[in-house]
Amino acid sequence: MEVIWFAFFAVLLAGYFALEGFDLGVGLLLPVLGRTRDNRDRMVAAIAPYVLANEVWLVAVAGTLFGVYPLLEGEVLFGLYPLVVAMLLCWVLRDAGLWFRRRLDGSLWRGFWDGAIAFGSLGLSVGWGMALYAAATGFASSPVHPVGLMLGVVVTLLFAFHGWTFLGWRTPGVFGATRSGPMLLVSALVAALPAVGVLVGAMPYLLENTAPPATLNVLSLMVLPFAPIMLGAQVWVWRTFRPGKDAVRLPSFF
Amino acid sequence: MDVLDLARTQFAVTGSLHFLFVVLTLGLAPLVAIMHTKWARSGNPLHESMTRFWGQVYVINYALGIVTGLVMEFQFGLAWSGLSHYAGDVFGAPLAMETLVAFFLESTFLGLWIFGWGRLPKWAHLACIWLVTLTAYASAFYIMVANSFLQNPAGAVVSGGRMQLTDFGALLTNKALVFAFPHVVGAGLFTGGMVLVGASAYMLRRRTPDTEFFARSMRTGVVTAAIGVFVAMGFGYAQFAGIQAGKFGDDRNILAAVGLGFMIEIGQLLALVVLLVMLPMISSLPRRRWTHPILILMTPLPFVLSILGWMAREIGRQPWMIWERLSVADAMSPGLTSGMVTTSLIGFTAVLGLLAIVDYVLIARVIRRGPRALDLGATSPDDKPAPALSY
Repeated sequence: MEVIWFAFFAVLLAGYFALEGFDLGVGLLLPVLGRTRDNRDRMVAAIAPYVLANEVWLVAVAGTLFGVYPLLEGEVLFGLYPLVVAMLLCWVLRDAGLWFRRRLDGSLWRGFWDGAIAFGSLGLSVGWGMALYAAATGFASSPVHPVGLMLGVVVTLLFAFHGWTFLGWRTPGVFGATRSGPMLLVSALVAALPAVGVLVGAMPYLLENTAPPATLNVLSLMVLPFAPIMLGAQVWVWRTFRPGKDAVRLPSFF
Repeated sequence: MDVLDLARTQFAVTGSLHFLFVVLTLGLAPLVAIMHTKWARSGNPLHESMTRFWGQVYVINYALGIVTGLVMEFQFGLAWSGLSHYAGDVFGAPLAMETLVAFFLESTFLGLWIFGWGRLPKWAHLACIWLVTLTAYASAFYIMVANSFLQNPAGAVVSGGRMQLTDFGALLTNKALVFAFPHVVGAGLFTGGMVLVGASAYMLRRRTPDTEFFARSMRTGVVTAAIGVFVAMGFGYAQFAGIQAGKFGDDRNILAAVGLGFMIEIGQLLALVVLLVMLPMISSLPRRRWTHPILILMTPLPFVLSILGWMAREIGRQPWMIWERLSVADAMSPGLTSGMVTTSLIGFTAVLGLLAIVDYVLIARVIRRGPRALDLGATSPDDKPAPALSY
């Protein structure tokens, strides 16, 4: 049972990197590829139908952490207090940018929220690199360490590449690239690599600190039957918004 | 303030902000789903307008529900790691279910509903908003399960200095839950209904051309608010049967008693107005212009009542995190400093507070512009729902 829940947890965290990675990547590329308002609208419209289904993987990671690894939940989050607060604020700003950017038309308004998306995406990406570094050292080292910062830059570049690949898949040719589905899958796997690496290293520690059987049984009984529905809902999203002649329809709500 | 007061203030501020948006989400979700059902069945453009207009109010409100909720979820680990250490094996289960079973699906289906407009088959699109509603209520249920465990730690025993889950069924039939959950649902419907009434009163007062649209919205709002306030009041009083001795009788928790007192006084008055004045006048209310300023002024009250209710429930629990098991002081993360909490408290309050204000301004703007040029469900740049005047 511990192993099943570890696999569940690992899939959620790696899945977050593979999926939200391209949302953050496109956010990072907004100031780079989105020089005109139209281009920024196209970039955001490309990720818009996926964001709500992607970011929720991290919410699920946190929930699993609380339910399955209650002893580690406080340790991990409290151990990284300033970093977690900063990352949360970046996440909030990125989301607010997406929800608010098209609600008014002025260029100052749009520019401000597009800036919030880019800034939030950057903060989250760098933050993830630093958090993974701290996790890899068993929270013995501060995330503000040259290696941590370097890993932050690496994660940021991976996400940006993944975002660019996604744009090449969903809006072929518009942003200088045309990418196939399998290539998107490869870039997703690459984007998830840092998380997978840390998960492999942390596996014995996580298994050791799993919640007792009584809790796991309840969770298994209540949650695992819904796993196919969760997966089905995700598949539905990808089938509905796959590239096609009107894949990026404007105006998009985001 | 010492570090414990700061950490409690941080939770109170973010939690209250979160609930202001959640309570409206709970009220509007089923209403939008019903409007969408009517539209799917009749194809009537008036029903389409209502779905898109109130749907847009609903999703803009939802945005702040999400971002404040993120901060809530992570705050347990940030500032209250003693809780997961002591009772994580019990308390973590409903929270995990909320995020995995409920919110994960809610967010996925909401994305399909918003962006699937004109893309999904009619009935599949309709199914999305009902699934969003269902999972939103499941979310609220699991959060109330978790909160009720803190109020009354049923279904668990202390062993080896930690709490262990012995009976999950007892968690779900907790006496602190069975009346409180319907009470929250009633409060949500009451709030959603009063927002429909207040917004419609505002538009009718301004002599909107969409009289039929807002007259219907106002009647829907009155019926919903009447059901909501009836349910909230009934289950509110029913809760007194299961309340812990001494919860409101202590000088220490004077604010809880004050919150409770004001909630009951204002709530009863509002219930009288809704059930004995607004409901009997329902057919003529849209025409009686003198009532509209009063209806507009009543709109914020359900939100105030919601916060007062949580003050009674949460401050009434003090000094316990888990009633007579774990104190809030012991639940706080060991090593937490005033500097840490002050910084995050300022950051969260400033960012979420400003975003909340922006969000309410945007909602007010959607309402003022009426059911035209809506972003939600727009399929071309100049797409407007047909004027509802002629229906």
